[in-house]
Amino acid sequence: MNTNAVRTGVRYLLLTLFAIPWIVVPFWLLIVNSLKTEGDSSVLSLAWPKHFNGGANYRTVIEQGSYFLGLRNSALMAVPTILAVLLLGSMAAWSYARSGSRPLRFAYYTSALSIVLPPAIVPTIYVLTRLGINGTQLGYMLVIAGTRLGVVVFLATGFVRTLPHDFEEAAQIDGANRWQIYWRIVLPMLTPVLFTSAVMLIISVWNDFYFALFLLRGSERATLPLTLYQFASTSTHGVSWNLVFAHVVLTSLPLVLVYAVLQRRVLGGLTEGGVTG
Amino acid sequence: MTTNKATIAVRPLEKRRPAGRSLMYPRRRAYQYAFALPAICLVFVFFVLPFVANAFFAFVRWTGYSSTLTWTGLDNFRLLDQVGLLRHAITVTAIYAVTAMVVQNGVGLALATALQRTGRVNSVFRSVFFVPVLISPLAAGYIWAAVLDDHGPANAFLSAVLPGDFHYAWLGHDTSALLTVASIDAWKLSGLVTLVYIAGLNRIPEQVLQAATLDGAGAWRRFWSIKLPLLAPAVTFNVTVSLVGAFSALDVVFSTTAGGPGDATTLLNVAVYTQYGQSFFGTASALSFVVTLMVILTAVPMMSWLRRREVPM
Repeated sequence: MNTNAVRTGVRYLLLTLFAIPWIVVPFWLLIVNSLKTEGDSSVLSLAWPKHFNGGANYRTVIEQGSYFLGLRNSALMAVPTILAVLLLGSMAAWSYARSGSRPLRFAYYTSALSIVLPPAIVPTIYVLTRLGINGTQLGYMLVIAGTRLGVVVFLATGFVRTLPHDFEEAAQIDGANRWQIYWRIVLPMLTPVLFTSAVMLIISVWNDFYFALFLLRGSERATLPLTLYQFASTSTHGVSWNLVFAHVVLTSLPLVLVYAVLQRRVLGGLTEGGVTG
Repeated sequence: MTTNKATIAVRPLEKRRPAGRSLMYPRRRAYQYAFALPAICLVFVFFVLPFVANAFFAFVRWTGYSSTLTWTGLDNFRLLDQVGLLRHAITVTAIYAVTAMVVQNGVGLALATALQRTGRVNSVFRSVFFVPVLISPLAAGYIWAAVLDDHGPANAFLSAVLPGDFHYAWLGHDTSALLTVASIDAWKLSGLVTLVYIAGLNRIPEQVLQAATLDGAGAWRRFWSIKLPLLAPAVTFNVTVSLVGAFSALDVVFSTTAGGPGDATTLLNVAVYTQYGQSFFGTASALSFVVTLMVILTAVPMMSWLRRREVPM
């Protein structure tokens, strides 16, 4: 038998052995216990449910855990914010990449720095209060946009710099205005880098708990992570693993479903998207 | 590397045309400002302004009980230190960040080395190991709190393979709680780190590895002497980003220990939330300022390193 085949076999064996505690057990525990009765789930065993209670658990989460409210709030805030960030970020990136002007260069570096520097939450609330939008969806969306633009700006600026000017010049000669050049020429060429940015934005914005915790007031505005937290923290559900798990499953479902369809492109985009610059 | 050389070669040309890189854009750059303006406004109002203001709020007395802000110098920090919060939170945050960074990068590097080649089986493993990245850190906390429960599967496994009955409360003892919560944080992110390492490994020229193999270098030798040094950019990036990210951690703590037992997992940002909740806005800002300082002290070396590799503007 050839040594390469043995080596590959050993590698797959080790990977599988590692995947069991790292992935299989946690997710199996999660799913299987979300289908059990409260009593059965309290022992946290990996056994298949003796008394199937999945229907009731998930119904409770949807009715008492404000699941659909959270889903709607998350979608209504995350989707427009991410689209706006991609649009405004790529517009700015085009300018930053094509301009040598000092103020724009300063703005570019500031945006790039905002990726690593931690946002200052207390003054952010102060600014929002002064603008009269503290605790509102609008305030939350603006802060998310302001703190996440850096990623798009950084990745897209690097990308535009590698693009030739020819297409833009040709369009200019053909009489296209600036907006048409951006919309018809530059934006389509940016698709790969914007896809990578979108993946990173969706993961971080959809799962955001930190800003939602500080900036969204009132349970009617809660996003999915907030509804999960409120549901799990209320004393009546504190130990009901079956219900907490059912909520975790439902909360994680949207992104996992999207990932199931697009996984190849997602992984490819993140690997080749030049996250490391 | 080749792109760097190319840009350096082009540079003199750019200098002759300082107004822009192209003949089509003479001195009129108004449209460039117009295109960048919305993004600039958002970043400045909702990131830069609060960021700068924080350096001021950290040094003023500001509570919800009075409407006046008074400059008090280091009083906020002194106060936090007197109640034993400041130094403890810094230590705990540093230990948390280092633990998360080590676990994340250890696992990420090992997985990347094992999964570097593109193939059907590797793709399956890659997509499986990526799933934790998608779920919220809160969810990760709830799942692992259950796995590591006194009666959970982790202790059940230990009881099965080791003599004695294990009912260790992983989240119930000071040190183990801190290390455990940090590892849960790392669990959620290691899939992403793995991809960055895979990208880094793919960038290593095949000939170098072949040459080493011809010279008789084994798999270990190739890893330590060639792959790891050539992976330096990815390592620096991942290490810094994971450290810096963990300095601002909060989510996993909220869904596992809520800062406890006692204050064993009261990270800086958790303390910020508590202070803010009690309407102590000045001390909350001071704690958040400490996070900023920790990040800057870590990130500045990284930024200077990134800039050296960056294509000049």
